[in-house]
Amino acid sequence: MNIENNTNVCEEKVYNQIFTTNSKTVFNYIYYKFGNEEKAYDAVQEAFVKLWENCAKVVPTKAKSYVYTIANNLYLNMIKADKVRLKYAHLNTGVTNETPEFLLEEKEFQEKLDNALASLPENQRTTFLLNRIDKKKYAEIAELEGVSVKAIEKRMHLALKSLREHIDGI
Amino acid sequence: MQENYLAKWLNNELTDEEIIQFKKTDEYTSYQKIITASNKLKAPEFNQNKALQAIKAKRNATKEAKVVKLNPFKKYASIAAAILLLCSLGYYYTTTLDQTISTDYAQNNELTLPDNSEVFLNAESKIAYNKNQWNKKRDVSLDGEAFFKVAKGEKFTVTTDHGTISVLGTQFNIETRTNFFEVTCYEGLVNVNYNGKNYKVPGGTSFMVVNGKIAPLSHVKTLVPSWTLNESTFKSIPLEFVLNELQRQFNLTVTTENVNTKQLYTGSFNNKDLDLALKSISIPSKISYNLEKNKVLFYAEK
Repeated sequence: MNIENNTNVCEEKVYNQIFTTNSKTVFNYIYYKFGNEEKAYDAVQEAFVKLWENCAKVVPTKAKSYVYTIANNLYLNMIKADKVRLKYAHLNTGVTNETPEFLLEEKEFQEKLDNALASLPENQRTTFLLNRIDKKKYAEIAELEGVSVKAIEKRMHLALKSLREHIDGI
Repeated sequence: MQENYLAKWLNNELTDEEIIQFKKTDEYTSYQKIITASNKLKAPEFNQNKALQAIKAKRNATKEAKVVKLNPFKKYASIAAAILLLCSLGYYYTTTLDQTISTDYAQNNELTLPDNSEVFLNAESKIAYNKNQWNKKRDVSLDGEAFFKVAKGEKFTVTTDHGTISVLGTQFNIETRTNFFEVTCYEGLVNVNYNGKNYKVPGGTSFMVVNGKIAPLSHVKTLVPSWTLNESTFKSIPLEFVLNELQRQFNLTVTTENVNTKQLYTGSFNNKDLDLALKSISIPSKISYNLEKNKVLFYAEK
């Protein structure tokens, strides 16, 4: 996307573009943290309404991190309310020619993975899923979370390590 | 293995050697499986169009809500602010308002200040001071003539059109009239600030400025100003000031004809007996007078 510096977020075109580019990831970002679709949806709405209200003060290049910050703050306010309950839609692999045993084993493994993911600390899970599902680069996640790339690598490493330990039952 | 090698591995940042080493470990297969399985994960559906529509509806709603919400608040806030302003102005006004005591022609007055200092006001004089601020500063403004008996304490200041008089605690008389300024100290020491210069007036002396000219300090023998004893006393004072004083003491209108009002007069007149007073002025000055109701004409025979 190319949003020039001199354009204004208050312009509908610019605003729409920012929304189209970022809303899905904001939604996922909060969802990974929360494990609640409704709240993730609300957070997206809230964040983008706030962006509109403050469109004159936010330059387009900063709009993305602005939206993430608002969404994250909302998340922090609500964190006490619920325990994380994650539920993932699993990609249908389409036509399979695998044996029923293999399919059963795979299903079991997916369940184990779901449980392992739910037990991860919030920041590790968010980092892991943003990378795996949203295909975000470490640098981009670092920007969203406001930490260094190295910190994201650490989270990623620890996430994988914990997942394996959880699944292998260590 | 380098730090965070699992993250590096996912990012294809491991060296060939490291990959070989990593593949030899027992955990490698597990990691492989996790990655394969997690690649099949999908986040819940998110309908962007629906979300955007909802946001736009909300955007307009909050806009309207804002107008409705803010208006009454603004109204009450402005009323509250106005009331607050009035209250504080009123408070400020009453606390800073000066107490004013004034006398008219042929009138004397006596008052006691909050610190028990006494002030005697001569005819046609005005004194003002702030009652509430008195403990902070003993400040009095004077127009006319007054005799002060100041109680001991902090600096006591009298502000006049001609100058500022400051003392610590003493007895002194101040007379400020048009083109006439006299400070007489009866006890202690008085500091007179006239035209930006300070003059020390010790007890028993008098500092006088007539028509802008400072007269040398003259000695005073009395212990209180004569006017407090119903006598107006003058020592080498131009006749016009004497006549002005006569006007004030008896509430008269004084006019002159062929009289040199610049000639100096030394003497006194009684403040109660007009007949005696008129004689006290006319005889030494060798002039005649004519009294009609409350009008006096002084004239010289040629």
